[in-house]
Amino acid sequence: MARDVLIDLRHITKVFPPDTVALSDVSVSFESGEIHALVGENGAGKSTLMKVLYGLERRDAGDIFFRGAKVEFRTPREAISAGIGMVHQEMLLIPEYTVWQNIVLGAEPVRAFGAIDVHRAREAVRQKIEEFQFNLEPDTLVGDISVAARQKVEILKLLYRNVSVLVLDEPTAVLTPQEIPQLFSELERLRDKGHTIIFISHRLDEVLTLSDRVTVMRRGKVVGTSAASDLTKEDLARQMVGREVLFTSQRQPQEPGEMVFRAQGLNCSDTEHRARLHDATIDVRAGEIVGVAGVEGNGQFELVNAIMGLAPMTSGALEVNGKDITRADILARRALISFVSQDRGKMGASINASILEDAVMTHHILDPGFSTWRGLGLNYRRAVVFTEQIRTQFSVSMSGVRDPFRSLSGGNQQKVILGRELLLETPFVLMDQPTRGLDVGSIEYVHQLLLDLRSKNRAVLLISADLDELFTVADRIVVMCQGDIVADLATDTTSREEVGYYMLGGKEAEHAETGS
Amino acid sequence: MNVLFGLFSAMLIGATPILLAAIGGTFTFYAGIFNIAMEGMMLVGAFCAVLGSFFLHSWFLGILCAVAGALVMAGIFVLFAVRLHTDEFLTGIALNLFAVGLTTFLLRDIFHVKGAFTDAGIRAIPAVKLPLIDGIPILGRLLSGYNAIIYVAALVTVLAAFVIFRTRFGLRLRAAGYNAVCLSSSGVPASTIRIWSLIVCAVCCGLAGAYLSLGSVRLFAENMSAGRGWISLTAVILVSGNPWGIAIISLLFGFFDGLTVFLQGSRIPTQFTAMIPYVATLVSLYLYSVRKRRQA
Amino acid sequence: MRKQVLSGLLGVLAAFVIGALVLLFQGFNPVTTYGALLQYSLFSASGFAATVTRAVPLILTGLSASIAFASGPVNLGQPGQLIMGALGVALVGLFVRLPPVFLIPLCILASLLGGALWSGLAALLKRAFAMDEFIVTLMLNFIADYFALWVITYPLFDPSALSPMTRRISTAAWLPDLGGVNTSVLFMVFAAVVCWLIMSRGRSGYEWRMTGQNSLFARIGGCKVDANYVRVMLVTGALAGLAGGLMVMGGPHRFVKGLGANYAWDGIMIAVVAGSGVSGTFLYGLLFSALQQGAIGMELVTAVPSEFIDVLQAVIVLVVVAGRVSLNMVFDWLATRQKLKESAE
Repeated sequence: MARDVLIDLRHITKVFPPDTVALSDVSVSFESGEIHALVGENGAGKSTLMKVLYGLERRDAGDIFFRGAKVEFRTPREAISAGIGMVHQEMLLIPEYTVWQNIVLGAEPVRAFGAIDVHRAREAVRQKIEEFQFNLEPDTLVGDISVAARQKVEILKLLYRNVSVLVLDEPTAVLTPQEIPQLFSELERLRDKGHTIIFISHRLDEVLTLSDRVTVMRRGKVVGTSAASDLTKEDLARQMVGREVLFTSQRQPQEPGEMVFRAQGLNCSDTEHRARLHDATIDVRAGEIVGVAGVEGNGQFELVNAIMGLAPMTSGALEVNGKDITRADILARRALISFVSQDRGKMGASINASILEDAVMTHHILDPGFSTWRGLGLNYRRAVVFTEQIRTQFSVSMSGVRDPFRSLSGGNQQKVILGRELLLETPFVLMDQPTRGLDVGSIEYVHQLLLDLRSKNRAVLLISADLDELFTVADRIVVMCQGDIVADLATDTTSREEVGYYMLGGKEAEHAETGS
Repeated sequence: MNVLFGLFSAMLIGATPILLAAIGGTFTFYAGIFNIAMEGMMLVGAFCAVLGSFFLHSWFLGILCAVAGALVMAGIFVLFAVRLHTDEFLTGIALNLFAVGLTTFLLRDIFHVKGAFTDAGIRAIPAVKLPLIDGIPILGRLLSGYNAIIYVAALVTVLAAFVIFRTRFGLRLRAAGYNAVCLSSSGVPASTIRIWSLIVCAVCCGLAGAYLSLGSVRLFAENMSAGRGWISLTAVILVSGNPWGIAIISLLFGFFDGLTVFLQGSRIPTQFTAMIPYVATLVSLYLYSVRKRRQA
Repeated sequence: MRKQVLSGLLGVLAAFVIGALVLLFQGFNPVTTYGALLQYSLFSASGFAATVTRAVPLILTGLSASIAFASGPVNLGQPGQLIMGALGVALVGLFVRLPPVFLIPLCILASLLGGALWSGLAALLKRAFAMDEFIVTLMLNFIADYFALWVITYPLFDPSALSPMTRRISTAAWLPDLGGVNTSVLFMVFAAVVCWLIMSRGRSGYEWRMTGQNSLFARIGGCKVDANYVRVMLVTGALAGLAGGLMVMGGPHRFVKGLGANYAWDGIMIAVVAGSGVSGTFLYGLLFSALQQGAIGMELVTAVPSEFIDVLQAVIVLVVVAGRVSLNMVFDWLATRQKLKESAE
């Protein structure tokens, strides 16, 4: 069936200084009443394109047409009032506010003196909840509800503003396999009511299930737009990456060796004395990759903190290579543990420092070769040599070792961090979402690196929110839910569905759909 | 009995400038600005109050000048910290230095004096007798007959509590502090809310400054804010911005400030009594940390 | 680095232009005013010597603030630490009788300890009770100020003086002038070189800077951030204390009321314009010293009050700091244009 063209993006170009061309001459059109998927690997420019449309990023060239007229949205407010709303990848809600406060924020009904008309606001929100059959309670705090429910709040926030076009940026990335079908049926219902939905994703199965048409982007350019019914998963993958992609794991069978890492009955509480980790017990053997699966915020953070000695444990024991490190300070742990954190800018490096300064961290204490003047000085000449070693060994592309770390691309930043950590040559490696925010090439690189570590008989604990990643590299998958380790599964004998079932706490899985 | 009355009124007098500045600071606090420029805004306010009162022969115009002066300071803050994205802390420090330099320079340039300027031509802000309460025996003596700004300060506190927790502006203000990107994507630019919070802050600090120079005295002295902006910042941090909490903390500081005046005649050297408000700030920080630790 | 120098030069130039506009608006001649300013600070032998001597407390308190800011702790307590350092020298100089070879080092030690004591107190309160050093050091400034005033009004009061001050310290602790320049400059230069070595070549400087930029990263990297915090506080307090001590030993040879009142906040100001770099602090310290020294001559020759310099300094701070950010925006914009042109081809 032929639909009208609703949004037409023509020749959009966007440059991120100093030298990243995020979008280069991109033209796409979206038709009214369709679900249109925008796919591509991380860094292909999907989100940037939508942010340009939405007035969050300024474009450097090109035109936008909406309902046939040339438009210019300078702020999200203008886009929303024209009828275009966007749900962001990182949820933009205020946990301290209730559901109705979050929904009306920016469009509040008021009485005299600018006082909020609480009754009217709450009723309007309740009405919208009923109209779209979203299972939500207006008075609960957003901080207390599940991720899937928060996503509904975000969508409802836009529907409250009567938008006709919904842009969703990777909405399934934060959901468990069980929660996804519900979102899809909601989106289909919205389409049938006449809404247009633009859906950003890099998960090919979903794209083919849900969407009417698919536009593929690669490296800031549009590869093509086609009807979903004409496509196969292999076509999409080829277009996305630009070459054939294997959907099989290259993990060779290997018998694990000695016990390297053992965490025995770890217990941690947060500042409000709520237990965040109970009796977590994990073993990792040499030459083994153990994956930790779980919805974010189910104790992974506390697990990392406990292993690294960043927060006190209430009880439990930690051991690496037979050495008890339960009470060891961070430095003593670092001699045994390599650690790659999930957040490069917060834990992995100082983004304002030079590459060299970020590269020698920890080595500067553990390796006596880096000190001069009897430990008072730092041997910067040696540091240059060392950074060059990381550059060649981990194929980092950089212009100079004294350039600021932030001038590197995300993938290269991660390579510097990986280089620094893996050159510590420790028996145990802890990786917390090491591929977060990387492009497909870098992700493949990291996965290969992990498998290399495995064949070199290092013990690896890999925490990941991405089930595909765990199924690609891990030998065993342990599942965390609400601070408990609820399952320990061999990768070869389990399935994504089984892991997803445990991620929702097993029998509580049906419960999660109620959104509270 | 007289001592108690005296101490009570000294407490209110000492609390007022800190309360006003802290209420101003709480708006920027909720908006997510690390605003340390209250000290400078207050100082410029105090100077402009004297300037206006002296040349325009009106305490009311003096107050308006004080507010205008503080608003200019807020304008500079907006230009640098909000528009040019300069670090808020550095902007605040530079503004405080600018305030000291500017007022000292203008004191010399306009009034041709060093140190302090006082003149019979400066009109002070009058005291107000509350219509009904004034007649009641003890209550009247306790609560009536103070400087007009003191009542304004009480009113501002109530108003602030209403605006922050009950109004549309308040909802957006707090949202700017909790998650600025969320607010902006909701269609309200966080920078606009921040600018408004700075304007409110400047008005409050202008009033506080006017009270310093036209309230119980009629003079401007170099650096006469004497760290009150910092103390009010502490008050804001201690109660995480809650206006009622700020009122209590300010009264507490007012009490110690009043104690300073009271102990002046005693055998304790004035240098030690003058330390009291600053020591009290440290003690309250200590108590705050102990309370926080007990919660944890 | 080159960007730093460029934005600094442009900023100072812009500030001078703004200053000139203020002068014009007030009816003064900017050319003669700036001329007098330079004449009395840099282009005369006595003026230059005075500028260099005056730079001692400015650069030392500036280094104190710079190292603190670069390493994390927001030590705003230079005024108080300077006073306690000066008080330390006054005590030793008044009551210890030794020949100069011993007394001068002892006095220097006393000034370092005095400053470190005051910043150490703030560090202790932070470590033991998690009290924010930025408010604590500020409050300690006021307390040190009143405490010193009490000391020189009562226990150490010089009965022959009209205003509160101590008697003169032992002449063995006086630092002599050499050709108009006080020898306290030598101590300052030595301290500045040590600071540069620590920050740019030392292992602790590396750890301090990394902690200042991202303390969680440094902690995970194995740096002892808590111990480093205390060390930084002690070192920066000692630097400010040294500034106070050298002022007593090289200047009035006694603790007088209001000593250092004009210098200590200047240190913070210098650290802020210098972006907390050691060499930048040194250069801006000299610049601000020249401005302050020239102000005296400027007031003599022209009718411009010397307080004009206070305004000019604050304008320099605002313009340079904002300029650093804006200049980056300009560079980004230029890079975008360049890329667009490339992709169009």
